[in-house]
Amino acid sequence: MTLTVGLLSFAHPHVHGYAAALADQGVRVIGTDTGVPDPGTIRGADLAAQLGITYAEDVASLLAEAPDAVVICSENSRHRELTEQALAAGSHVLCEKPLATSDEDAAAMVAAAERAGRILMTAYPVRFAPAFADLVARCRAGQLGQILAVVGTNNGKMPRPGERSWFTDPARSGGGALMDHVVHVADLLDELLGEPAENVHAVTNQILHAGIGVETGGVVSVRYPSGVIGQIDCSWSVPDSAPTWGGLTLEVHGTRGSMRIDPFAEHVAGYDAEGAVWQPYGPDLDARMIATFLDAVRTGTRPQPDGGVGARTLAIVTAAQRSVASGRPEPTHLH
Amino acid sequence: MNHPDPLRVGLIGAGGIAGVHAPAWRSLGADLVVHSLHGADDLAQRHGASTADSLDDLLARVDVVGILTPTATHAEIALAAIAAGKHVVCEKPLARTADQAQQIVDAAERADVRLFPAHVVRYFPAYAAAHASVTAGRIGQVAVSRFRRASAAPASPWFFDEAVSGGIVMDQMIHDLDQALWLAGAVTHVFARSVTRTDDGVRTASATVTLTHGSGAISHVHGVWGHAHLPFSSSFEIAGSEGLLRHDSAREDAVRLHLPPAPGGGYLPEVDVMDSPYTAEIVDFAAALREGREATVTGLDGVHAVRLAEAANESIRTGAVVEIETQEALR
Repeated sequence: MTLTVGLLSFAHPHVHGYAAALADQGVRVIGTDTGVPDPGTIRGADLAAQLGITYAEDVASLLAEAPDAVVICSENSRHRELTEQALAAGSHVLCEKPLATSDEDAAAMVAAAERAGRILMTAYPVRFAPAFADLVARCRAGQLGQILAVVGTNNGKMPRPGERSWFTDPARSGGGALMDHVVHVADLLDELLGEPAENVHAVTNQILHAGIGVETGGVVSVRYPSGVIGQIDCSWSVPDSAPTWGGLTLEVHGTRGSMRIDPFAEHVAGYDAEGAVWQPYGPDLDARMIATFLDAVRTGTRPQPDGGVGARTLAIVTAAQRSVASGRPEPTHLH
Repeated sequence: MNHPDPLRVGLIGAGGIAGVHAPAWRSLGADLVVHSLHGADDLAQRHGASTADSLDDLLARVDVVGILTPTATHAEIALAAIAAGKHVVCEKPLARTADQAQQIVDAAERADVRLFPAHVVRYFPAYAAAHASVTAGRIGQVAVSRFRRASAAPASPWFFDEAVSGGIVMDQMIHDLDQALWLAGAVTHVFARSVTRTDDGVRTASATVTLTHGSGAISHVHGVWGHAHLPFSSSFEIAGSEGLLRHDSAREDAVRLHLPPAPGGGYLPEVDVMDSPYTAEIVDFAAALREGREATVTGLDGVHAVRLAEAANESIRTGAVVEIETQEALR
């Protein structure tokens, strides 16, 4: 049976990769766009045509086709409303990260999925990196001993204000670099450590791309109940002139071993007429994540990363935001 | 380099770091005297130095003193050397507390002798190159910096004795706290966390320090004293409004070599002492002394670094953000 999957909103640029991955998996894809696109950008029916997917006029008419599942790529602040509508229509949900912009919204989404008996999965593709699987397996086998400390970085270029202005509009994004980048590393730590973060300290500034109106630089310090300390650099610090979007690294130190992973490091380097070349050749993590989601939809299993980890990782961001406001370390609402 | 009147230098302490200070001084043609509770004869023999039986004996025979002892002894020895009218090169941290470090600076000023805290990372070529690029404005205004330093935990037990060494923050991470000050200026707020674990009798430690600078820049510093198999490495990344600089010693690729293990030693290449950052540091101190100019690192730099490390340790103890008086940070 061919699955039907709805793409709800084209606001997040990941829609391109997800549409391609869904098509490769042989599912029928219908999309509809929401929100106000930036002038001059290709969105809506035009983008659907470019992506080779069927376009529905609005969310209601898309859901009226009773898709088996939806993938939500809206502005962060609309994740809850679209998730609730999709669940009410009986669809399983894969939601772009961050799961929501408030702990209350995230909890409501998780509860709604429970009530509906449907999947709520959070789009954390780095979870599917072979390097991360290797790290988790080695830690669980005890090769690193007891974990002491972890250092994570998720740095990238700032989303282009002329094309995706909602990323730098707190009302639609929930915040700047903290909201955009902390959760990826937080998700890996959630899986690796198996315990929710306890206490968070964060500092931010707006020196990079000054005047944009949200934090562009940020450093987050996290303590876990077992005593593990973590540090996350979430800055939009990759210059526009760089040959790639950015990357993610995670370094783990234990009492018996250490390991560093750089899942986006695999690339062919060189130079073309414009300057440096960065041609990635690593596995397509989006495709692996989509495949896991679709497999769960087909078989009725509960995939990871789920809504619960989406909520727990958002809790680190909201505690970081409270810390920036108070100037003090703050407990997460989970403790 | 031959100096017409050989410098007369006294090294106090003959531990690991003395093994790099001694050849650096010798490369300048200095006459060396060593005083140490342990290992003085061996060090003297290896580097053509003589030994002194007491601190007073050593002070009577030299013009410059190199203090290479455990941290908690720095202040007493430095004040004694200064009182005897000697110039002082002191291994980092300048002292166990910022107040002691300030006393040393004040005493040196009153006695009109020179004081050089040995913050050697300023002389590591990658760090010096980054600093030169940043000060030349190549990456615009510094926004977010991170510094990371990891190695196997030190073997001498005094390093883990907080009262003696100040722990990993004061002993190891002070290198990068100094780098953060050097690259991004005075610090106003400090937050830090640390963890120590003992596994099968082996002690390991790690700490993270978050700094807010007066300029608005933020820095984070991460240190690891890890398991026995952790090779030394250090790295940094400095993001500015116009660009980004990074370096990772673990990714240096100038030479690759693969050999079968050589039982019982085998050929070891000569390391040119002139290429060593420790030599560059001593050369700068000796030239600063001779020419009466500032060195790349000053006594006050030593005080500021200790003050930052102290604030980080206070934050670890209290769990709170520690504010540094701007007046003090800029003093």
